[in-house]
Amino acid sequence: MIALLLILVPLLSGIATFFIKKEQAARSWAMLAAVVTLAVSLLGLTVLNKANYLSFHATWLPELGSSFSVGLDGMGQLLCLLTSLAFPLVFLATWRRSYPNGHSFFGWMLLAQAGLMGVFLATDALLFYFFWELALVPMYFICSRWGGERRIPVTFKFFVYTFAGSVIMLVGLLYVYFSAGNSFAMHDFYAVRLTSKEQTFLFWMFFVAFAIKMPIFPFHTWQPDTYEQSPTAATMILSGVMVKMGLLGLLRWLLPVLPISSYAWGDVASGMAVTGIIYASLIAMRQDDMKRLIAYSSIAHIGLMCITIFSEHKTGLQGVMIQMFNHGINIIGLWIIVEIIERQFGTRKMSQLGGIAQKAPVMAIFFVIIAFANIALPLTNGFIGEFLMFNGILNSTVTKYGVLLTVLAGTGIILGAVYTLGMIRKTFYGEVNELTANARDLKWNESLALTIIVAIIIVLGIYPQPVLNLTNEITDTILKNADVLSIKK
Amino acid sequence: MNALVLSAILGVVMMFSGILLKRPAAIRSVAIIGLLLLLASNMLDMSGTRFFSINLGDFLHFDRFAFLFNSVAIFCVLVYVLLTGKAIERVGVKNYADYFALFFFVLCGIFLVTSFQSLLILFLGIEIITIPLYILTGSDKRNLKSNEASLKYFLMGAFSTGLMLMGIALIYGAQGTFAIEKFNLLKIPGSPLMIAGMLLMLFSMAFKVSAAPLHFWTPDVYDGAPTVFTSFMATVVKAAVFIGFIRLFENAFGLLQPTWQLWVALMAAATLFVGNITAVFQQSVKRMLAYSSIAQAGFMMLAIFALNGDAKEGLLLYGAAYSLATIGIFSVLSRMDDYSYESFNGLAARQPLVAATLTIFLLSLAGIPLTAGFLAKFYMIKAVVATGSNLWLVVFALLMAAVSVYYYFRVIQAMYFREAGEHSASFQEPGKGFKWVLVLVAALIIALGLFPSLLLNWLYF
Amino acid sequence: MIHLLQANISTSAPSSYLPIGLQIAFAAGLVALLMVLTHLLGPRRKTSDKLQNFTSGIESHGDARQPMAIKYFLTAILFVLFDVEVIFFYPYAVNFKELGWAGFGAVLMFVGFFLCGFIYIIKKGALKWED
Repeated sequence: MIALLLILVPLLSGIATFFIKKEQAARSWAMLAAVVTLAVSLLGLTVLNKANYLSFHATWLPELGSSFSVGLDGMGQLLCLLTSLAFPLVFLATWRRSYPNGHSFFGWMLLAQAGLMGVFLATDALLFYFFWELALVPMYFICSRWGGERRIPVTFKFFVYTFAGSVIMLVGLLYVYFSAGNSFAMHDFYAVRLTSKEQTFLFWMFFVAFAIKMPIFPFHTWQPDTYEQSPTAATMILSGVMVKMGLLGLLRWLLPVLPISSYAWGDVASGMAVTGIIYASLIAMRQDDMKRLIAYSSIAHIGLMCITIFSEHKTGLQGVMIQMFNHGINIIGLWIIVEIIERQFGTRKMSQLGGIAQKAPVMAIFFVIIAFANIALPLTNGFIGEFLMFNGILNSTVTKYGVLLTVLAGTGIILGAVYTLGMIRKTFYGEVNELTANARDLKWNESLALTIIVAIIIVLGIYPQPVLNLTNEITDTILKNADVLSIKK
Repeated sequence: MNALVLSAILGVVMMFSGILLKRPAAIRSVAIIGLLLLLASNMLDMSGTRFFSINLGDFLHFDRFAFLFNSVAIFCVLVYVLLTGKAIERVGVKNYADYFALFFFVLCGIFLVTSFQSLLILFLGIEIITIPLYILTGSDKRNLKSNEASLKYFLMGAFSTGLMLMGIALIYGAQGTFAIEKFNLLKIPGSPLMIAGMLLMLFSMAFKVSAAPLHFWTPDVYDGAPTVFTSFMATVVKAAVFIGFIRLFENAFGLLQPTWQLWVALMAAATLFVGNITAVFQQSVKRMLAYSSIAQAGFMMLAIFALNGDAKEGLLLYGAAYSLATIGIFSVLSRMDDYSYESFNGLAARQPLVAATLTIFLLSLAGIPLTAGFLAKFYMIKAVVATGSNLWLVVFALLMAAVSVYYYFRVIQAMYFREAGEHSASFQEPGKGFKWVLVLVAALIIALGLFPSLLLNWLYF
Repeated sequence: MIHLLQANISTSAPSSYLPIGLQIAFAAGLVALLMVLTHLLGPRRKTSDKLQNFTSGIESHGDARQPMAIKYFLTAILFVLFDVEVIFFYPYAVNFKELGWAGFGAVLMFVGFFLCGFIYIIKKGALKWED
């Protein structure tokens, strides 16, 4: 029931939004819908946290061996909470921003939320594919319509990349479907036993789709451009929530379904990811545009999560899940600050900014805390996640290169600190120039959004236990299905 | 049988309605009523109410598959007449009724092709379909491009008909009969006469459905013909010939599958490649749609390649999804005075409803989930994966589907993300009825995309 | 092993194609032989009159490739059409007794359709000579 509501509420309210002609009314309506979704999500975590409320099955396309099955496990809970938290935050932070044809903007946003929820909830492979594509279409419309100057070609590249990846995944899904006795159900996928040769080509079919979405080097080229050109509200969703689709794909549809090839090819994937970390960090250091810098930093963060996933260690996987949530929250915080700066000064170039902290101290405090979380300082949520992940990589029995990967990825973290702190220095400190001379501080809606984010950062940084409890069971399930070492013995 | 006889009679009725009735609206109403009658009689036939009791011998066999496709075809023509019937007036009011008469004759040919049991009937059906099409292609008599298209189509069509006749003759030589049921493939599985005849049939059918490398006539003919008629022959007719194609290869040459399967696979791959890659470079939406029809034919070829239950169901769904979406797009196109991509600029602001439905049609053609086009493509690749081997073909087909996104989305981009400029074409203000039909078709495409059983269950119940 | 084309030749021995081969050889040979023979045997006297175009005893004048009214073609085509359809009456006439009333009905239907076409042509003005 909860699972169904999480999809239906944004879907129906999103369709309704298209018929509200006034922008302010549409915005309030969208906010209301997002808050209701958040309430449903919280209900699922607390009061109604029982198995029969959390999953839903309905007959759909029985002739294709598929069904409308959605369900919440620990990982799904966490990601749905992130999704339902992200949208109100985005609406709140951009409350004053006006869009031409605003009602359809909010309509598409809510439809995107429905699609994302579907991806996180689907326990049927065909349904998963359906939502995977459906989450993409609204984002395509939002980014192409309300984005920057080069929005049309850039967004189109993003669309084609993702679409090409996903159709290849579809072939893989079909292949597994036939091997699983004509069924798309998740438990049948988990039960299927494929030969290592089949697993090898299936692995790459799946991995490419997920790698494009995350993105992993060398499939990342759409990402900086798209983040830069999209309207910031859409960038928040893209980077905060949408990249988690790829990670969830790895965790739910790759590791347990193709354990042998994950074991065999995991190191190659990790190698690609670690290359991406170093590469993206180095490029980020040279960026002048704040949006591009954060975009590249995101590649580095996601790369680390990908490496951890393929190290297949329980602590690490819990770290990944916690970090998926944290990364979403933190990066939305960063985007909110960038959005405020861009709206005030009309530029995102760090070379033209400086000294904002003197004029807007509250914003500076928020920004510094979020930046610290982004570079994983202790007492912030980022630290918990990255500590657990490094712990997992080092103790992993699956990869032989744990130490090497840790050292290289650790270098990425250090580089991350360099460019993130550099960004703070260049924008918020230093000389005030004529552009930043009359900077204003935060408006109430921005303060509220940032307060929520900072509160989450600190609370999870000090007391992450609830999240660890939540993800305990699902990590065990994933690892049990992904375990090939015990089979080998 | 009901529909077959009725369609021939209705064709004659339409011929005379042009003499008796002068107002185009009246002629159109007669045609719509005729199509409704035809649909009803076909549905009655499917449920067992037959008006005629004729011993068809080895010539025709009406099964549920044929009936269902006939219904789909009649329905598509009905939608086509409702959407573009008025635009046909622009081609010529003088012969207005004759065009409708030709549609009915084409339908008559379609009914023969979808249920033939003898190669003679197949030949007859194909000819009854194509001869009216030659006329329709050249109907814009003052336009040189239309004349050229018609002549090209006629010469090439006559050539492929020759191939088909030769093939039929060789097969007759090998088997001693035209009835495909009596073919004895086990006794002499691969006599050279039979193989040569089959290949000739394969090529001539490939020509009719514009599969590469026999697709060269398509862009010129589709581009040169009046837009309203391109819509007709690129959709219903093509789907119908595919039904005949799969029927021929399943019932007549099914046992020779190992022989022709690789040929069909190569042809499908070539068709997908040529259609999609060339469509990318087109500057005119009409020409793009011509190439897109080649590309879609490539996908339908996969059904012939796989030749299993999924393939047949999928082909039916594909025919419906592709025809409806393409008819919808052409109906909008035929109301514009310029066919370049730029002419669509800013259409969403001027005609939000038309733009929204057009988007659904384009998404369906591109194969985005939630539309019938996705499930149709899904059935096709499922059928091919089920054959076990040839994963390369599936991967290739889907990559080409990703390419197709490029040119379909260019229209969406123009409509939604570009401002109306000097290039934007004037769009003839559509009436309420037109809009309602468009919405209905879009709703149907989404409904089929969610529940294909709405259509496919008719095959079994 | 990929077979582009599989054909089982063994069931039909090459010798069974001998008659066809002979026929082709004979047909081609005869044509070639006759052409060569007439060329060699016939006497040739070229005069300007003999090399002229000649039709039905009328002297040719002007160019053959000049536009002509479409009505000629139309009439000619319609003539051929109806002429060919009339041929179907011959087999019916031969089998008149055997076919009985059922055959009569069928032919009546055929004539009916035939008549429809004829009326249509007249109504459409295809046979109107003057505009």
